[in-house]
Amino acid sequence: MSSPAELVLDRRGGHVVARLSGEVDMSNASYVREQLLASMPNDALVLVLDISGCRYLDSAAIEVLFDASRRLARRRQELRLVMPPNSPLRRVIELTEVHTAAPVYESLDAALTE
Amino acid sequence: MLGRRAHRKGEELRVRASQQAAVADLARRALEGMELDRLLEAVAAAAARELRVEHTAVLELTGDRKGMLARAGVGLPNGVLGSVLPVQPADGSWPSPLQDDLDAASTKAVPIHVRGGHFGWLEAFSREPREFTPDDGEFLRGLAGVMGAAVERTHHDDVVIDSEAQFRELADTTPALMWMTDAEGDVTFVNDGWLRFTAGKPDLQIGGSFGDSAHPEDRDELLRCWNEASRRREEFRFEYRLRHAASGGYRWVLELGTPRYSGGEFVGYVGTATDIHERREMEEALRESEASFRELADTAPAMMWTTGTDGLVTFVNEGWLRFTGTTFQEEMGASWALGVHPDDVELVLSSWDDALAERRPWEGEYRLHHHSGDYRWVDDRGVPRYVSGHFVGYVGTAIDIHERKTMESRLFEVYQREHRIAETLQRSLLPERLPPIEGLELAARYLPGARGATIGGDWYDVLERPDGRVALVVGDVVGHGLRAAASMGQLRNAFRAYGMVEASPAEVVARINRLVMSGVEQVMATVLYLVLDRETGEVSFSAAGHPPPLVLAPGGPYFLEGGRSVPVGAADPAVFRESTAILPPGSSLVLYTDGLVERRDTPLDERLEQLAAAARAAADDISGLCEDILSSVLGDAEPGDDVALLAVRPLPATDAHMSLTLPAEPGSLAQLRRRLSRFLHATGASEVQQYEIALTICEAAGNAIEHAYGPGDATYEVEVRFDGGELTASVRDTGSWREKRGEHRGRGLRIIEDLMDEVAVEHDEGGTLIRMRRRIREDRAA
Repeated sequence: MSSPAELVLDRRGGHVVARLSGEVDMSNASYVREQLLASMPNDALVLVLDISGCRYLDSAAIEVLFDASRRLARRRQELRLVMPPNSPLRRVIELTEVHTAAPVYESLDAALTE
Repeated sequence: MLGRRAHRKGEELRVRASQQAAVADLARRALEGMELDRLLEAVAAAAARELRVEHTAVLELTGDRKGMLARAGVGLPNGVLGSVLPVQPADGSWPSPLQDDLDAASTKAVPIHVRGGHFGWLEAFSREPREFTPDDGEFLRGLAGVMGAAVERTHHDDVVIDSEAQFRELADTTPALMWMTDAEGDVTFVNDGWLRFTAGKPDLQIGGSFGDSAHPEDRDELLRCWNEASRRREEFRFEYRLRHAASGGYRWVLELGTPRYSGGEFVGYVGTATDIHERREMEEALRESEASFRELADTAPAMMWTTGTDGLVTFVNEGWLRFTGTTFQEEMGASWALGVHPDDVELVLSSWDDALAERRPWEGEYRLHHHSGDYRWVDDRGVPRYVSGHFVGYVGTAIDIHERKTMESRLFEVYQREHRIAETLQRSLLPERLPPIEGLELAARYLPGARGATIGGDWYDVLERPDGRVALVVGDVVGHGLRAAASMGQLRNAFRAYGMVEASPAEVVARINRLVMSGVEQVMATVLYLVLDRETGEVSFSAAGHPPPLVLAPGGPYFLEGGRSVPVGAADPAVFRESTAILPPGSSLVLYTDGLVERRDTPLDERLEQLAAAARAAADDISGLCEDILSSVLGDAEPGDDVALLAVRPLPATDAHMSLTLPAEPGSLAQLRRRLSRFLHATGASEVQQYEIALTICEAAGNAIEHAYGPGDATYEVEVRFDGGELTASVRDTGSWREKRGEHRGRGLRIIEDLMDEVAVEHDEGGTLIRMRRRIREDRAA
């Protein structure tokens, strides 16, 4: 069995909204990263990654968040995360200090209106 | 879709769907009667296209099994097509003689089977080295199945054409009177014999009722008897007076009609009328005068005989002797039985003895030795004779019914063959065995209907959805025969495709309905589509014109009502509903088609009750459950209609211990998570705890995967225990430990340490062992 994940992309002005759902682990993390980076055209300013639909992220997936943030920053682009407050992933996201790489918002609206 | 794995998974599904569509398309073309050579070419092309290989070949074993004829192929060298290649080795197994010619690095071959043997091989050759997946093999076997069925069908078509031509020829040369009707009972064919007899004109006879030529006194009774038999589609048998042109009067005939089927559908009757005028006259005469009997008997063309009170023959007439070519003396006593075919003699004599003992009228159909040296079928019957109230023996007449019997057995053979082909197709379209699904016991049965060529379009299927739930489907395409079986194959694939992408059962069924209604061919089917969550026992289902699924709960059986709607293909637009329910722990779920519960003589409610009672009394194991339900609901009789039965039982994940060994590759993590998910769910851990524990164990497993350097088949072991509210887990690998390689692995270790109450790492020469402990429930201190 392999891990199923799905990425749905949506352009809203200067923002690209990427909704990630399913499970991301070391078997598909690097592919997720490639797709995320490829989803950002040069004229976009912010990549909003909504992980509300994710059931599972492991350390490889978290590494993708750090790496994507670094690479986007070099292109003067910003990564924002959306994770609802009741997400089971919350403690792990906090523990690994993901907020130091990308600000975490509680809703998509909040991430877009910032 | 994304994630390399996810992407690959999506790609696999897409490839599989495309392959299945190709098989279904070719099956349809085969059934539409595509010429065999063109079909084989189409198969070779489809195999090359779907597998993306440079060469394919369809090889047919020659009659002597010493060569293989290249019948079709893609990318074969000049001169290969149509030539005979050597078989290597002699038993016809792999490798192909083409492998070297084509300079192929990888090859895959599957046998093409036909009934009773091996037709040949379907082969695919790739110039680049590649591994053919199990799906590729399945695809090629599907194509081989289509070709096998098409080859059989070709033979079958020959037989049908042959038999139709033979029928007409035989019908017009036989002295018997023959006719056919359509399903409505209107005459569509009468033979020359009939026209000669009645001096009717074909235009007048055809389209009319054959009662038109009957004696006015017999007509009403004839039609009543005919209507009764044809309503029940039973054999029709009646004696009446038929207009006789040559004499200007009427003659007694025995009319026999047999229902005809084509493609499993009732299409009318085929029948014969036999002139029994002498027999009838004889019987009349006998009643009038014993004395004039023998004189009359010897001038009559019919075969006649009498016996004494002991049943021994005392007289046979000239007609009998002309038939048998024996002498009068040779037929006396019990020796007439020597002329009866060895296969028939036992039955004939025992029925004769029984009739004689009770002085009942007797009748038998058997093969009697003819003077030509062959056996011919006769219909022989005798009635007891009385003189002044005293039994004096039997008098009997026999008539030659050979043509009719031959016709019957030929028609029977044709039905049998069609039935078998439909069944072969049906079985090739059903999953040979159900895929093993984690956490679910599964069993399925398919029983073909027994009556004639009444193979239907019943199917069952099981698939694991990407969200971890399991979709179950049973369906029944309305109609019978080859076309229904082919439609079934297409619907089955459509359900697989929509079942993967649509979560809602009603939406899946609605989409299929839209698909069916937009198609050219009219297809209607009843379907029960159900999605099961193994962890929670929650089911949601939609029953489109289909009987309700049965739940066999520990407290007793009941039916899942609701989610009802019209069959698929019945209306557009149509509303499809779904219902949800929770299966009590330890329940089994039984899905079935209506062949199991439908019977003309019993109301459906009663049959459902019977099914529930059978389930209650059935064996506990899932396979035994299927067997017991079938045997107690259907009894010993084969079902009239075909039956599909699917039973599943979510396995309780109540063990306090799980242990498994997995291959050291990233793809194993998803499998590990699924197992952990069931285990953790059963411990009562919260959603957050479930995620965090699964994550830490998988992080440790991720470590093991990175360490496990080895020759390909390295593994790691995971063991988890739950005891007294506390969970302990260990992950062991066989690699050498490396400290914090890169930031990400370091993060993984930090996750393990922070989320577990206690973590210990041990190394030795054998590998690394990570032990972890976490309390799940505070209320149950150890």
